[in-house]
Amino acid sequence: MQRIFQIDGEEAECWLSHDGNNMNLNTPDGVIPCQLEPTGTPGGYVLRMRGRAQNVRLAVGPDATFVHLNGKTYAVGRVDPAERLAGNDSGAADDRIVAPMPGVVVSVNAKPGDHVKEGQPLLVIESMKLETSLIAPRDGVVAEIPFAAGDSFGLKATLAQLAPEEE
Amino acid sequence: MTISKILVANRGEIAARVLRTAKARGLATAVLRHASEQEGPAHLIADEVVTIDGPTPVAAYLDIPQVVEAAKRIGADAVHPGYGFLSENAAFVAALEEAGVTFVGPTSEVIDLMGDKIRARAFVEERGFPVAPSAIEDDDPATFVERARAVGYPLLIKPSAGGGGKGMRVVRDDSALEAEIDTARREGERYFGDGRLFVECYIERPRHIEVQVMGDGQGNVVHFWERECSIQRRFQKIIEETPSPALSEAQRLDICETAAGIARAVNYRGAGTVEFIYAQDGSFYFLEMNTRLQVEHPVTEMVTGFDLVAEQLRIAAGEGLSAAQADIPQNGHSIELRICAEDATADFRPAIGDILLLDEPRGEGVRVDSGILDGGKVTTDFDPMLSKLIVHAEDRAQAIARAREAVQNYVILGVTTNTGYLDAILAHPDFASGDVSTGFLAEQADTLTAPGEDLSDLLMAAAALSDERLVSDVMQIPEMHRKMGGWRN
Repeated sequence: MQRIFQIDGEEAECWLSHDGNNMNLNTPDGVIPCQLEPTGTPGGYVLRMRGRAQNVRLAVGPDATFVHLNGKTYAVGRVDPAERLAGNDSGAADDRIVAPMPGVVVSVNAKPGDHVKEGQPLLVIESMKLETSLIAPRDGVVAEIPFAAGDSFGLKATLAQLAPEEE
Repeated sequence: MTISKILVANRGEIAARVLRTAKARGLATAVLRHASEQEGPAHLIADEVVTIDGPTPVAAYLDIPQVVEAAKRIGADAVHPGYGFLSENAAFVAALEEAGVTFVGPTSEVIDLMGDKIRARAFVEERGFPVAPSAIEDDDPATFVERARAVGYPLLIKPSAGGGGKGMRVVRDDSALEAEIDTARREGERYFGDGRLFVECYIERPRHIEVQVMGDGQGNVVHFWERECSIQRRFQKIIEETPSPALSEAQRLDICETAAGIARAVNYRGAGTVEFIYAQDGSFYFLEMNTRLQVEHPVTEMVTGFDLVAEQLRIAAGEGLSAAQADIPQNGHSIELRICAEDATADFRPAIGDILLLDEPRGEGVRVDSGILDGGKVTTDFDPMLSKLIVHAEDRAQAIARAREAVQNYVILGVTTNTGYLDAILAHPDFASGDVSTGFLAEQADTLTAPGEDLSDLLMAAAALSDERLVSDVMQIPEMHRKMGGWRN
């Protein structure tokens, strides 16, 4: 069974299998027998791998598995292969301005139909108590700015969309 | 004026912390809670929880008539404002006075004076205390830009009504001055409803050192020593400690006595903090005075042995200070880490999520002031600070070691936090030697967020083996196929 994980922003693929005795993690680097045993404490396990027993605490969230290991906490993102294959058909990546963090719209400086130049501020957002200007990634025509001043938005919300470039 | 019932007009860790002391002093206690807010530790401690409402949760906590009405309705004879929200709002203090409710804090006049950076600065300067070279817009708006230029570069623009680093801009080049003034003015207008600015000389590699003071409003003021708060991201502190590793004994007495002198000059009542900018050459300048309890007050409590909230409540009840200056020691070393829901590798972007597992560190010299509960939800409704981890040990090296062990054992799963980043700061040789400035985190950004040892095999195994559906699917594959294993598509 194949899985794609995201660790520190990098995607990693693995394959879990069972050979009758052991669970095996199949990675591009090889097959590694591994085992996870509960310890009795909430979320506590011993992970046995490569001849080492490692205490971990873990919790399975909706999009990521959180692992506390060696005094650090890691979010291991679970990538849905189906979703990744579907790709994004809602326009080229540089047509969209996506919220870098959750926040509130301070002001909108352009409207649909406006011709904008690369670097021109389209809207100002506030997150973390700081103002950030979001600029046009290229010359083009504004297709949509779905939020108004005062609206709040979530992480990765589309804040502005440019019309597709005419080839 | 005795106090028998107190309303804590705040939330999160500080509400819980104030309620604990109030309860220990035998007061009846109440705390606010917005209708959409998660249950937190404070709601479990308080005798009474008063629901407030508003267009946003923050707006509800800032709604003066509603908060005053809540205090009257439940028969509270005092209100503790915590920090943030209405804690430095003179209109709130005046409204409570009118309603006959005691405000745990200074008078509205002192809040007004110290809340206006320009007036505060002028007040302090007139009385002979040190301030940095500056230009104040209000003195003559027409020549402000010109006078700002005369201060020289680099310079720092600040909203006169500001705080918390909001609207502050460093300008290093004359060509950027006017544009940065416009931006700072806009931010000032939006955050504080006041676009007036001032400019001061920007001190390179400064340290931020502040002094805890306490006054009884009858002319008696004592200090509870200094706190070093130079470890800041986006002008906001994330690690604080006391004593400051920068100060000699003579400098320590000088800066602490200066702070107490400033507090004496306003006949200060309650807990306050005088903040200074400390230059590498040992000179220091008055920055501002915060007329409330600070987030980082626990490090002071750890080295002095005093409960600062208990002192606040004594003073509010007219019982005065419990100690004279000579009775206030500075024992050992204490460090506070602010645990925040944010991604230090992505420009400190606030993180949200459900707290799936919470296990706080415990042990000798370890204190956790927490605003979260296991199973809670972290939203963007409030500040990203979840809790504070405070340690105390005999000396600085032992305090750092203790802080590292504690933060490594602080398990918060379900939302990204800065625990690993805080540990990386504590592990940095410049932090260990104490050679830091307020620019430390920005200068060392790459080192502090560098990926550690590659543990991706272990992490993938943990994630795969804890995926119940995956494991059950794998176990159901017939024996023959199992043996084939390996890569197939």
